[in-house]
Amino acid sequence: MLKVDNVSVSYGDMQVLWDVTFEVMEGELVALLGANGAGKTTILNTISGLLRPHSGNIYFLGKEITRIPAHRVAELGIAHVPEGRRLFPEMSVKENLEMGSLLPEAKKKRKETMEWVFSLFPILKEKQNQEAGTLSGGQQQMLAIGRGLMALPKLLMLDEPSLGLAPVLVNQVFEIVKEINRRGITVLLVEQNIMHALKMCTRAYVLENGRVTLHGIGTELLNNQHVKEAYLGI
Amino acid sequence: MSLFLQTIICGILLGAMYALIAIGMTLIMGVMKIINLAHGALVMVGMYITYFCFKEWGIDPYLGMFISMPALFLIGCLIQKYLINRLVEVDSILPENQVLLTVGIMLVLTETMRLIFKSDYRSVVTSYSTKTFFLGDISISIPMTFGFLIAMILTWLLHLFLTRTDLGRSIRATAQDRDAAIYMGVNASRITVITFGIGSALAAAGGSLLLPLFYLWPDIGHLFTAKAFIITILGGMGSTMGAILGGLTLGIAESLGATYISMGYKDVVGLIIFLLVLLFLPGGFRSFTRR
Repeated sequence: MLKVDNVSVSYGDMQVLWDVTFEVMEGELVALLGANGAGKTTILNTISGLLRPHSGNIYFLGKEITRIPAHRVAELGIAHVPEGRRLFPEMSVKENLEMGSLLPEAKKKRKETMEWVFSLFPILKEKQNQEAGTLSGGQQQMLAIGRGLMALPKLLMLDEPSLGLAPVLVNQVFEIVKEINRRGITVLLVEQNIMHALKMCTRAYVLENGRVTLHGIGTELLNNQHVKEAYLGI
Repeated sequence: MSLFLQTIICGILLGAMYALIAIGMTLIMGVMKIINLAHGALVMVGMYITYFCFKEWGIDPYLGMFISMPALFLIGCLIQKYLINRLVEVDSILPENQVLLTVGIMLVLTETMRLIFKSDYRSVVTSYSTKTFFLGDISISIPMTFGFLIAMILTWLLHLFLTRTDLGRSIRATAQDRDAAIYMGVNASRITVITFGIGSALAAAGGSLLLPLFYLWPDIGHLFTAKAFIITILGGMGSTMGAILGGLTLGIAESLGATYISMGYKDVVGLIIFLLVLLFLPGGFRSFTRR
């Protein structure tokens, strides 16, 4: 479904991604793992068109999307839930969700999709008229995911949804991600919470210093010696 | 007492028209993150268009708005699309240079108008120009009341547009987080073009409403840039509600200054308030509503 092929990206003179290759198949929940600064967010921003690779290509549903303008990426069915949530803080919860469904097809089903999002996150329904900036961290994350779902995406890219959340909320967010995947939405999950992510994903890629160093089935990587030592501390 | 009330009412009426101009500036500032120093010049162009329509075809200034607003919308869109956005595309150019560009645009607009209309002072005289009506023993000018009402209606329409339509919401979203808006599929550079157009149209509307009250000459733009800038700072940059409060404050301050100090010093009062706000309330009125 999504194919990232030999992509290299630089910020000015500094190269941060080196020949990154990975693939996400329809219906999968693929995790992209790595430490701070490994280049995970850079990959998502490159797929979203905010950054341009200086070599390599990106394909989505068989079409090359490497060089299309950033705002057109959403039209293809890719929803990006960015790191740090990036809500519209002075807009209400409801308006934030409406912003998620600007494109014609999503707009047609705006009401129903919102009902679905409210059923996933009942707290959002309760607070729908409150400004997004006044929500707690967990609620903001739910709103960010909900806003992504409003686009009725084929692929949902989640950038560190567990960042800065209390442990009990982390579990809740991951449960919801699994639930979303079960409903048939393909998920590309970027995480630092490696244990959790490996347990729930179909496949995972490990990124180190801008290169893919390992990939495999989630549960297998859990038993990988390198992963154990470097990331799980066992 | 009635003099005081009259002064306040006059200030509020004038302030609403100032606010309309400042809301335009605030909108542009919110989305582009730059202060548009050509804003007053856009007001001036709007005034000249209205003046021309009145002089040549006898179109009433309040109807002339329906010509000046679309014309300035178009001019604003073109300025953003072919001038300002060209600079945005170049990473090595600092945002400060976009501000410098707006100064250049201001000069070109001012001198073009001077070329066409000369530097002469001009004014429109309509049947109602000097008419007033009485509320008790307070006399209220009819063109100011008209201007106030139309300014309020336009502000209200803009509010509806910004909160009820997807395009309006996209403008607010782009102002609050441009990248996030792009993630939602918003074409941010198209939004900047539309926003500059709307901001310019509001400037034109303000100009048309003020035409019956002010003398018109090409350099009057500076006056309005300064006023809109003060109001934008007063209101806390980028806030529409703040711009309305700021506009009313400036209107009342000028009006009080004109009544109790002297007509010639009315702008000084506004500038003193501006300085005090910068010194003691740098966030503007927004400091009160926000922790």
